[in-house]
Amino acid sequence: MIKIRDLEKIYRTEEVETVALNKISIDVKEGEFVAIMGPSGCGKSTLLNILGLLDDPDTGSFLFNNIEVANFNERKRAELRKHNIGFVFQSFNLIDELTVFENVELPLIYTGVKSVDRKKRVEEVLDKMQIMHRRNHYPQQLSGGQQQRVAVARAVVNNPKLILADEPTGNLDSSNGNEVMTLLTDLNEQGTTIIMVTHSEHDARYSHRIIRMLDGQTVLENIMV
Amino acid sequence: MFKHYLKISFRNLAQQKVLTGINILGLSIGIACFSLFLLYAVNEFSYDRFHTKADRIYRIIEWWEGEGREPGGSGSISTPVAPAMKKDFPDVEYAVRTTDRGCLARVNDHVFHTSITFADADFFNIFSFPLIRGDVHTALKDPGHLVVTREKALTLFGTTDVVGKTIQIKIDTAYKPFTISAVAENIPANSSKSFQLLGNFEHLANTEMVKQSSNNWHMTIGIDAFVLLKQESRLATDHKRLALFRKKYAEEEIQDRKELKKGKGKKDQQQAVQSGIRLQPLRDIHMNPQVEGGADPKNIWILITIAAAVLLIACINFTTLAIGRSAGRAKEIGVRKVMGSERKQLIVQFLSESFLLSVLSAVTGLILACVLLPLFNQLAGRQLYFSFSRFPELMWLLGGLTLLVGLLAGSYPALVLSSFNPVEVLKRKIRVGGSNLFTRSLVTLQFVLSIGLIISTIVILQQIAFMRSKNIGFNKENVVMINTQRVDAKRIYPLYKQAIQSNTGIMDITAGEMGLGSGEGQMGRGYRNYKEEISGVIEYPGDYNFLNALGMQLVAGRYFDPAIASDTMSAVIVNEELVHTVLGTTTANALGKTINTAKGNNPPKTIIGISRNFNFEDLTHQVRPQLFSRPANLEPARIYVRLQAGDPAAKLALLSNAWKKLVPDAPFEYNFVDEKFDLFYKSEERWSTIAGWAGGISIFLACLGLFGLAALAAVNRTKEIGIRKVMGATVTQVAGLLSKDFIKLITIALVIASPPAWYFMNNWLQSYAWRINITWWVFGLAGLFSLLVAVTTISIQAIKAAMANPVNSLRTE
Ligand SMILES: Nc1ncnc2c1ncn2[C@@H]1O[C@H](COP(=O)(O)OP(=O)(O)OP(=O)(O)O)[C@@H](O)[C@H]1O
Ligand SMILES: [Mg+2]
Repeated sequence: MIKIRDLEKIYRTEEVETVALNKISIDVKEGEFVAIMGPSGCGKSTLLNILGLLDDPDTGSFLFNNIEVANFNERKRAELRKHNIGFVFQSFNLIDELTVFENVELPLIYTGVKSVDRKKRVEEVLDKMQIMHRRNHYPQQLSGGQQQRVAVARAVVNNPKLILADEPTGNLDSSNGNEVMTLLTDLNEQGTTIIMVTHSEHDARYSHRIIRMLDGQTVLENIMV
Repeated sequence: MFKHYLKISFRNLAQQKVLTGINILGLSIGIACFSLFLLYAVNEFSYDRFHTKADRIYRIIEWWEGEGREPGGSGSISTPVAPAMKKDFPDVEYAVRTTDRGCLARVNDHVFHTSITFADADFFNIFSFPLIRGDVHTALKDPGHLVVTREKALTLFGTTDVVGKTIQIKIDTAYKPFTISAVAENIPANSSKSFQLLGNFEHLANTEMVKQSSNNWHMTIGIDAFVLLKQESRLATDHKRLALFRKKYAEEEIQDRKELKKGKGKKDQQQAVQSGIRLQPLRDIHMNPQVEGGADPKNIWILITIAAAVLLIACINFTTLAIGRSAGRAKEIGVRKVMGSERKQLIVQFLSESFLLSVLSAVTGLILACVLLPLFNQLAGRQLYFSFSRFPELMWLLGGLTLLVGLLAGSYPALVLSSFNPVEVLKRKIRVGGSNLFTRSLVTLQFVLSIGLIISTIVILQQIAFMRSKNIGFNKENVVMINTQRVDAKRIYPLYKQAIQSNTGIMDITAGEMGLGSGEGQMGRGYRNYKEEISGVIEYPGDYNFLNALGMQLVAGRYFDPAIASDTMSAVIVNEELVHTVLGTTTANALGKTINTAKGNNPPKTIIGISRNFNFEDLTHQVRPQLFSRPANLEPARIYVRLQAGDPAAKLALLSNAWKKLVPDAPFEYNFVDEKFDLFYKSEERWSTIAGWAGGISIFLACLGLFGLAALAAVNRTKEIGIRKVMGATVTQVAGLLSKDFIKLITIALVIASPPAWYFMNNWLQSYAWRINITWWVFGLAGLFSLLVAVTTISIQAIKAAMANPVNSLRTE
């Protein structure tokens, strides 16, 4: 599903050049659950952003479902993204001005789903995440664990083939964290490919494979059994 | 999708109550101002369009052009022109003359002074003034017929059911009965032709003036004439045919002119002025400044520009506040992009927010405009009302305006906000401080406009005060000027003088054939000194004591003397200007010289006195040559009474009582001369009021924006302020930190605004022969005022932010 080769991303400021990704190559097959680990600043988030088509690499090749997307423009990336990829962030990133229902509904609006279908689909997902009773609350009225469940609901509402999660449990206590990990595992078992960045060895154990990074490169891969 | 945008827009607006309030208040004030001026402009440009045959109606005008002269025309045309045109040109379907006269009228026993219009019987065949009683074909059929307007019928009779009733009207010397034949609907405000009472022109045929002028192609007696051309006629642009027509009738006059020119020097021949008859489209009358009485469309564009400036300031508020708030929206934008929103969709979302706001503002703005309309009407001197049926163009103009405002205000924020990189905003990398170079420039622009308007207001006010207080060369205070045009003044004047002169409080009494001040006519005949003809000498036939009673001073010679018989025949007093420009000599040499009238065989006049120049016109004019005489046959049009200074009420009562005893059948009409002079500056006063209001509103709007920006700056810098306070900054230091930026901007605005404001106002002042110099402190004052208002506004926010507990502000992160 994902095949990147010699991907490079360099951040240039006035004085310094930071090589965030240094000719990295990774493959992810459909249905896999991959964890990415590494010390702070090694380029995990940068990689995830590129995989999620939020950012473009400087050089290298990126095949997404066998389509070369490394040189897609913003509009094309948005098009591909909204139909195929869901995101879960460490800091939830829910829109404070929207209710739980509306936050989850958002991706459907941008993919042009009809209003009745949207309602059905959102309710289904909220039900599955067990936050239906909070549908009309605003994010600030929810606990961290609840907010992340909403974020996961939002990530899956479009039935994406790929979910990218950047430290999804980073802001949660262990019980809420485990709950989210269970949700992701369930999704993976139903066929969704998941790529997750994490600092927690505990969470990484939920995955099939751990990619360890250092200074913008992969240094080790652990296959889980 | 659209419903989603609308819902989010509403929620966003509702959540940011203060900002939304500022935006709606500002925009609606801007839109209210603009729509009022728009209404005014639409009304001005709609003049006379309501006549169904408007495109075929033309006014006959006299047109001059030639070297050394701006081309221009006059609607005053000699009496025989219109009937001759009807006779000579088959293209002319109808031709009518109209003229306005003042008269005394009597209904039952009530006598009043009114104006009456006389028109040829075809009046209603040309113009579409609807009648509510009577029939257009017969309304003016008979010389004794009279058409009254609904308004006039109601004031005179209390009903519009007045056909057949009689009104006594005194045109020359005796009252004559007129029978009301029809009642016309009130004349629309956007009609340049208007009447209250309309009589048949034939009725004037027997008056001395019309008789004299009826075959005279050189004499004008205040007649306007209109023709209705046939559909296919091209007469209006056929200057050749019109010239031939003029030549046929006015041959001898042209001959006259040629001879006159032979006697003149070369210089004058070069400046030969061609005059001719032209046809001016009816719809052109109100807005063509080249023809006397036409308004200058330039003024309307100036007004629209001012209104647009006010609106722009309000739009800028929206833009800067939206940008200022972007920090708070960055996350929303990032998330939306991650969720698959394209930039285009975000632009649409932000624009729909600003459109929603502009629609709300337009609605409140229109309501505000309706509330302010009476005030505005007073200012504009018009009777305007919002009517989409009368001005259908208003509908799309206002609709377009609303769209434009939304676009203007919302497009920059939409472009900026939608361009945020989602990765960066979600990482809180982008510093969206709310004040980039662009928004700073916008705030500066707001203050440039406001300060410019304030400077203009101060300069206009200064010039008005200067003109009011200028010693114009005679004593205009405490002089009552009584209108004696409608009475047998020759007989009344001495009697009236006798009746009042011995009373205490009456200082002096005199009379003249001309009035003084705004709205008074001027009489000028050509004068000839040796060979040269000089036109533009203004004459004041008056009583012996005219000059001394009004406080005009002599620089040489003597006043008129009743004891010297020749003073009423051949003596004149002239002003210094006449000595210098007409005679080309010094005051010392001018005494005893004679001058001749250019036409007629009047005896030469000897100069017995020279008066010091005084301003008898408004101060845009230099003093012109002036000549005073004491005709043996003085027919006063005005009696001047100088009162003792102090409360005039008792003295006025005395004057009025004496008048009523003497002339019971005519009203006592008077003015104070100084007030008549003040009237000269009505238009300046109007401009100062407009500029003052616009300046006040602009500064208010600009400060409204500042208020919002300062609030946002405080919010965006909450953390910084908290840290600074923890480090030991005082409230004043923090408040200063927040205000410093804005004060800098206003100072820059003052520097930018001053040169163009100086340039424009200096230009404006050039039209005044007597004017002030613009002093530097005007700019200082305007700047100081703006700064004061702005600092007050900002301080409220800055102090609030500075006083907040730093622990609270640090916890928000
Ligand atoms: N916009 C940017 N401009 C400049 N440098 C950047 C930018 N974004 C990331 N970097 C740099 O690129 C490198 C990789 O950053 P990245 O955010 O991918 O690290 P990370 O592995 O996610 O770290 P963490 O575990 O702390 O989240 C870092 O050295 C970082 O400083
Ligand atoms: Mg990271």
